[in-house]
Amino acid sequence: MPSAWLSTHLRAARPRVLAALNRAFGDIDLAEDAFQEASLKAVRTWHPEDLPKDPVAWLIVTGRNSAIDALRKRRRETLSAPEDLELAHEETNPEEDLTDALDRSVYRDDILRLLFTCCHPVLRRDQQIALALKVVAGLTVEEIARAFLVQPKTMEQRITRAKKRLHAAKLSYEEPDAAERADRLSTVANAIYLVFNEGYSASQGIALIKEPLCEEAIRLARLLVRLFPEIPELRGLLALCLIQHSRRFARLTADGQAVTLEMQDRSLWDRKLVAEGTVLLEAALRNARPGHLQIEAAIAATHARAACYDQTDWQEIERLYRALQHIRPSPVVALNHTVVLAKLHGPKFALERLDRLQTSLERYAGFFAVKGSLLMDLDRTQDAYDALKRAFDLAGTDAERLHIEQKLHKLSKDT
Amino acid sequence: MLFSVLIYGSEDFYDALSPEEHQEILKKHGAFHERTKSDRSFAAATKLMSTGTAVTVNRESNDFIVTDGPFAETKEQFMGFYLIDTATLEDAIEAVKELPFENGRVEIRPVAYFEGADFQNAERLVIDAS
Repeated sequence: MPSAWLSTHLRAARPRVLAALNRAFGDIDLAEDAFQEASLKAVRTWHPEDLPKDPVAWLIVTGRNSAIDALRKRRRETLSAPEDLELAHEETNPEEDLTDALDRSVYRDDILRLLFTCCHPVLRRDQQIALALKVVAGLTVEEIARAFLVQPKTMEQRITRAKKRLHAAKLSYEEPDAAERADRLSTVANAIYLVFNEGYSASQGIALIKEPLCEEAIRLARLLVRLFPEIPELRGLLALCLIQHSRRFARLTADGQAVTLEMQDRSLWDRKLVAEGTVLLEAALRNARPGHLQIEAAIAATHARAACYDQTDWQEIERLYRALQHIRPSPVVALNHTVVLAKLHGPKFALERLDRLQTSLERYAGFFAVKGSLLMDLDRTQDAYDALKRAFDLAGTDAERLHIEQKLHKLSKDT
Repeated sequence: MLFSVLIYGSEDFYDALSPEEHQEILKKHGAFHERTKSDRSFAAATKLMSTGTAVTVNRESNDFIVTDGPFAETKEQFMGFYLIDTATLEDAIEAVKELPFENGRVEIRPVAYFEGADFQNAERLVIDAS
């Protein structure tokens, strides 16, 4: 049993070590096995009081040697299939001086490559999330399965299929140029936000089980910000995650019921995270290269600035939604924009805007929930009832249904 | 003499800590606070936000250039510092042994000049080593 600090060192080193091994061998499975072997050796040989000076370098060298051993063994056992022995990309010589690999610029591209591979567009979203958590963050299949509320066996299959799909896609491992690197970073940033959201949007009762997803997403975002401080959208990603995460103690009642932003006890918000998120966002926005994550972070930060819901700066939020709609138009963003317009210009104005969205959102519970609320504000009780009923039927989660039920209840009480 | 106690550690490691381990580290800092405050050597404690929040300002001829990120890219990062007022360097070395060392190292550097302000009450404190 490794001592606590030792396993934390291994956990901390994992993304960089795995990224270097993946570059050397072009094979995630081999890299994972090699990391595992190196970790076991570390547990046997590291003394808690006398760790190697550079644990990451130690693990890379040890892992590389173990992978070469594994390849040699495979060569002896599968003489009939020599093509298996070719390294995925010829220009890389696994024997090369490892000090090169410890150079920071190489780390950057190695980690980006590893993350981009795990979050590759050929994969489904749930596969991207699972693979990033398994390979990069180093969660066990059991841990990921628990967070996704599925059987470990199901998760194991999901990960195996994802790896097969990557293998079939025969990804090229060429050095990205600047434009490609920016593309990859944006893919990776979006995938990490998916991981965060998977934890954050968890419905009541299971939010605690899902919290590790938020923590791991924040850890990955921090690593990326450290490696690529010049990319403002990554700071936006971290800012967004931190500000959302700051509300974790206020989002649920003691018995696990979801609490809307309006009703949250703001004294429970984690002000340290808000402060860090806010300054990260400010630094990001100085570059005047806003992406959707920076804008979403700015919306979250504007909410965080308001001492209470009534003091929310809706004008600023309206401007931000307009910007978001410009950069990344979507019906759901338009719907949220409408909610803000109702705060500024009243329900009648918002309802007219809302009706234009109906065709693209007619299967979306949120649309009818918003519509129901606006109709309630206009005292059109029967129409409100119909809309909320429709929202209830379309709702996908218990939390959503509960939320709509409360509105229906209020409606019947008021009339 | 006033000494700065500069704390370096790996942020990768810091981010990987479990809540229990984090508590354990805080406990050691707490013990350092308690000891230095009880013998009246404590002067200041500063914990910095992550290097990810840093920007670096440079001047090139007449232009100020603000770049994102910390000044130096290093394997271990500057995490924060204490100021303690002890009679000798030996006492300072003795005092820092209370701090957590799981995550890096501690540099002790004498302070040549210190000026602090209790900005709430606008009182100023000046310590000059000369």
